[in-house]
Amino acid sequence: MSDHHASPEYYHGLIKKFKAVGYTLIIATLVTVGIDYFVEKYEVSFPKALAFAMLVAVIKASCVIAVFMHLWWDIKWKTISITMACTFFFFAAMMYLTITSVNDVPGLDNSYRKLPGQAEHSALADK
Amino acid sequence: MQTATHTEVHHDDHSHAEQSFWTKYIFSTDHKVIGIQYGVTALVFLLFGFGLMMAMRWQIAKPDQPIPVIGALLESVLGNVAKDGIISAQLYNVFGAMHGTIMVFMAIVPLGFAAFGNYIVPLQIGAPDMCFPRVNMASFWAFFLGCVTMTVSFFIPGGAAQAGWTSYSPLATSLPTDGQTYWLVAMVLLITSSLLGAVNFIATIIQLRAPGMTWGRLPFFVWAQFVTAFLLLLAFPPLEAAGVMQLMDKVAGTSFFLPTGLFISGQPATISGGGSPLLWQHLFWFLGHPEVYVLILPAIGIVTEVIANSTRRPVWGYRLMVGAVLVLGFLSFIVWAHHMYLTGMGNKVATFFQTTTMIISIPSVILLTCLFMSLWKGAIRFTTASMFAFSFLPMFGIGGLTGLPLGFNFTDIHLHDSYYVIAHFHYVVAPGTIFGLFAGVYYWYPKMTGRKMSEYWGKVHFWCSLIFMNLIFLPMFKQGFDGMSRRMSDGGATYASGEGVLGLAAESIMTNTIISHAAWGLAIAQVPFIVNFFWSIRNGEKVTSDNPWNSTTLEWQTPTPPPHGNFITQPVVYRDAYEYSKPGASKDYLPQNEKV
Amino acid sequence: MEIPYNSTQRPDTGLYNAKVGIWLFLASEVMLFGALFSAYVLLRVGASPGTWSMGLMNIPVGTFNTVILILSSVTVVMAWASLKLGDFKAYKKYQIATILCAAAFVLVKWSYEWPAKFTHYDVTFKDATAAKDYFVAAYGDNHSKQVTKIAKDRYNDPELQITQVPLSGHIVGYKVKGDTHVHDVGKVMNIWNGAWFWRINWQDTNMVALNCPKDITAVILHADGADDDHAKPQHAKTASLSTDAHSGAGSKHHGVEIPVSRIKRLSSLEPAHSPFFAIYFTLTGLHALHVLGGIVVLSYNLLPIGTRLWLKDPDRFANRIETTGLFWHFVDLVWIFLFPILYLL
Ligand code: HEM
Ligand SMILES: [Cu+2]
Repeated sequence: MSDHHASPEYYHGLIKKFKAVGYTLIIATLVTVGIDYFVEKYEVSFPKALAFAMLVAVIKASCVIAVFMHLWWDIKWKTISITMACTFFFFAAMMYLTITSVNDVPGLDNSYRKLPGQAEHSALADK
Repeated sequence: MQTATHTEVHHDDHSHAEQSFWTKYIFSTDHKVIGIQYGVTALVFLLFGFGLMMAMRWQIAKPDQPIPVIGALLESVLGNVAKDGIISAQLYNVFGAMHGTIMVFMAIVPLGFAAFGNYIVPLQIGAPDMCFPRVNMASFWAFFLGCVTMTVSFFIPGGAAQAGWTSYSPLATSLPTDGQTYWLVAMVLLITSSLLGAVNFIATIIQLRAPGMTWGRLPFFVWAQFVTAFLLLLAFPPLEAAGVMQLMDKVAGTSFFLPTGLFISGQPATISGGGSPLLWQHLFWFLGHPEVYVLILPAIGIVTEVIANSTRRPVWGYRLMVGAVLVLGFLSFIVWAHHMYLTGMGNKVATFFQTTTMIISIPSVILLTCLFMSLWKGAIRFTTASMFAFSFLPMFGIGGLTGLPLGFNFTDIHLHDSYYVIAHFHYVVAPGTIFGLFAGVYYWYPKMTGRKMSEYWGKVHFWCSLIFMNLIFLPMFKQGFDGMSRRMSDGGATYASGEGVLGLAAESIMTNTIISHAAWGLAIAQVPFIVNFFWSIRNGEKVTSDNPWNSTTLEWQTPTPPPHGNFITQPVVYRDAYEYSKPGASKDYLPQNEKV
Repeated sequence: MEIPYNSTQRPDTGLYNAKVGIWLFLASEVMLFGALFSAYVLLRVGASPGTWSMGLMNIPVGTFNTVILILSSVTVVMAWASLKLGDFKAYKKYQIATILCAAAFVLVKWSYEWPAKFTHYDVTFKDATAAKDYFVAAYGDNHSKQVTKIAKDRYNDPELQITQVPLSGHIVGYKVKGDTHVHDVGKVMNIWNGAWFWRINWQDTNMVALNCPKDITAVILHADGADDDHAKPQHAKTASLSTDAHSGAGSKHHGVEIPVSRIKRLSSLEPAHSPFFAIYFTLTGLHALHVLGGIVVLSYNLLPIGTRLWLKDPDRFANRIETTGLFWHFVDLVWIFLFPILYLL
């Protein structure tokens, strides 16, 4: 955090923001849970539910990073956020590749396959 | 400088009089002591890992014949797996897995990154110590515990891990012994150690550079370590996660890497299934490929220092090299699946990784070319250190170029898992990295001890090592072309009588014997080094100045050996890292902290 | 020897040492959890219908934990702001609040959520007849409704058939070879009681179990929702139930006696149960370890051994609190993602 703003007023201002973000996060959590209830009740499609839940999670995470971890005001926030962004990029690329590599060749995934002659299967089967 | 040394010694006595032996040498927070601790431990394991391979080479050359002397010893220590002094297939697998693991994680990485990095980086950037000295100590002790766990696993019932250094599941998980569990616990410790080290290195380089030491003036060795640290920081955690998951598979009965419908020894496995063996391979190689650059980059850094110093001219294309090493670091994260072409992971993915693999060879070639260019018109000094450094270049060249056929997935179909792969990566790490590390030992030894190692025996060591190394690894390319698979406990004897595609050419199997003899020759060639190393601590030629090689970089501008806190006065940097033979200067080198 | 920039910023980077260190460490943590998240995605995408056994999470408890962790994130940053304002008393107050939240989080996991899983058993049967027999025994006429309910709630797939869904509930007793009476599974000593780590697989009929004889012939299972009195037996009230089992083993209300010979697989909702529980326990376990680590560091910063730095070098102490806070926010951040993927979706 920059020392240029070391006055008490500055920190009092910050505290207000911290509290505001705290409320936002709690409300966002309740919204996600509420939506989950609707998903079940009105049978919203899974991809939609997923997209929404991830959207809320990303918004929450950005609030935490920007305000609680006060990256927003850090003089060197660019350095830090670029480093983190790179990290995240690696992570996302990795996810993408591992997932595509499963669905690319049919029959070579880890999905459940019936053995010849096996008529039925059970949820927790070993075979 | 001499007077400076005196004041410092006095100061040292004064402020550290109360330091006991324990805090000074064992639980030290001084980066130099920690560097030496790492170095000694790593050298011991280098020798140990080499010893494992010696025994395996016997079994390959003379399948099922008892090893003289050592065989009896093995039998008395390990019992039935070495019955009658013969290395059983099981023991061969143990030795093979542990050779790889020890060499990579407990010898080369700690030597190149942790030992040289710890000792040299703070000195070269003009810092009093690492950024977080206590974290540094924790890093060493985590490493040490990992080494102990790994070593202990040899003696548990069933022996150490047997599934190769890559520990592919389901094999690694389904072996009925506990070796793999120990391996995983040890790996988690080693990874933790590397992570702590990596954080420390990066923070130190960012925060503790001396005044005037801008990024453009950093010695290349520091750049190499900087990139290496980033590779460790970001590539190791996925393996740690994978290790935790495999540990769960092993002890909690989960199926992260175990597919549905798995049979073990003809019996259906009693697991839930639904896991993915490919997941392990992805996570392992996500570390695995950056790891090979972790192995090579510190060595390239050392070689650059030594070459600049012994050609007495600035490194050719310093900026180009820095750019190349940064690009290399980045690209090394997106090529990992070239180790998995034959897993059936999918065509699109294979094409992607083939492309990135070809691209990554460009920065490697840039680095090599710059170093070759640096030799041009140099006033070359042939010291032991410089000879190791020079020979690094063609050896790394062979290793790197033979990687290209492996990077194309159509040629890799033939070469994968053959002795060709073994030859490829050993050219990079054995005559490559290890020669670089030897260069470093000979080069920095006077700074650490105040004495030089014997040049005569150094050269004997060099020439014998060079010859034997090539005798070992060159024929392996041929064996690989002939179709000899790696990890066969009898060196392929089973296939000797086979016909057509199944058979192995007789000369391929005969080559085994030649290679094994060369390997034992290489072992003997290390004797001069070991003796020289210990003998010179007390009896080597004393250096008369703090800067015996007339070097420009800051580590030579300290007292010898550097005291706790390193520099007597805060050094200030005025010039680039390699100002050798500057026209108009009074001597042929200008130290970085010299004002005109 | 003094290491520079521990309490002040380095002018050209604008950062003090520990801040660089902690952000680097967090980068590596992103990769650690990132790898586990990608494992989650891979396993889930690769799971065939009826194997992603997710719907047993206790959402209210999960929400409670999320809120608690968010609160602790607020208090930890307030603690730092108080230090910056020079108010050490307020710092202490906020720091204690943070530790209490963290402790509550771990306590809920350790004493409620995890044991509830370990004491809850799933049984699948060797054939359709057996499955039908015991579903009827447990639920009477309601059994087909129950099958659909399990298929929908647990696997999000109403199409699943009776042989594809497990009969699940709490084990209240067992029978041993040569004995006719029912054994108690144990007294209710603590919340983990009844967590026997029992696992039977038909292939070798080997029972993986702690503290229990090997030659079990039958188990008595009290199926979920089979008895209105025990509609939600989240943690096993085994003492009272097992007496019921004693008198009426096989009775449809208090427990169904299932011979081992008809069981295909029996497993509590432990990590080995299925890929979902494997990743659930790995992720929440690793996260809980981070919370515990946080508690240790936060406590250190409260005890005299940690706070004496405040008197010596207040700036450096404030920095230390800031870095601890950064770590703590990260732990919160991980949970923000864990909660939806493990509980909701
Ligand atoms: C410069 C270009 C390089 C390319 C294109 C390349 C390519 C490859 C490929 C494709 C493989 C997999 C072969 C197979 O399993 O079929 C491989 C294996 C390997 N490479 Fe390289 N490589 C290069 C440089 C290096 C370097 C610098 C190192 C280490 C210092 C290295 C160490 C290894 C190791 C250890 C393996 C074997 C891993 C195992 O299967 O156990 N390589 N290389
Ligand atoms: Cu590679």
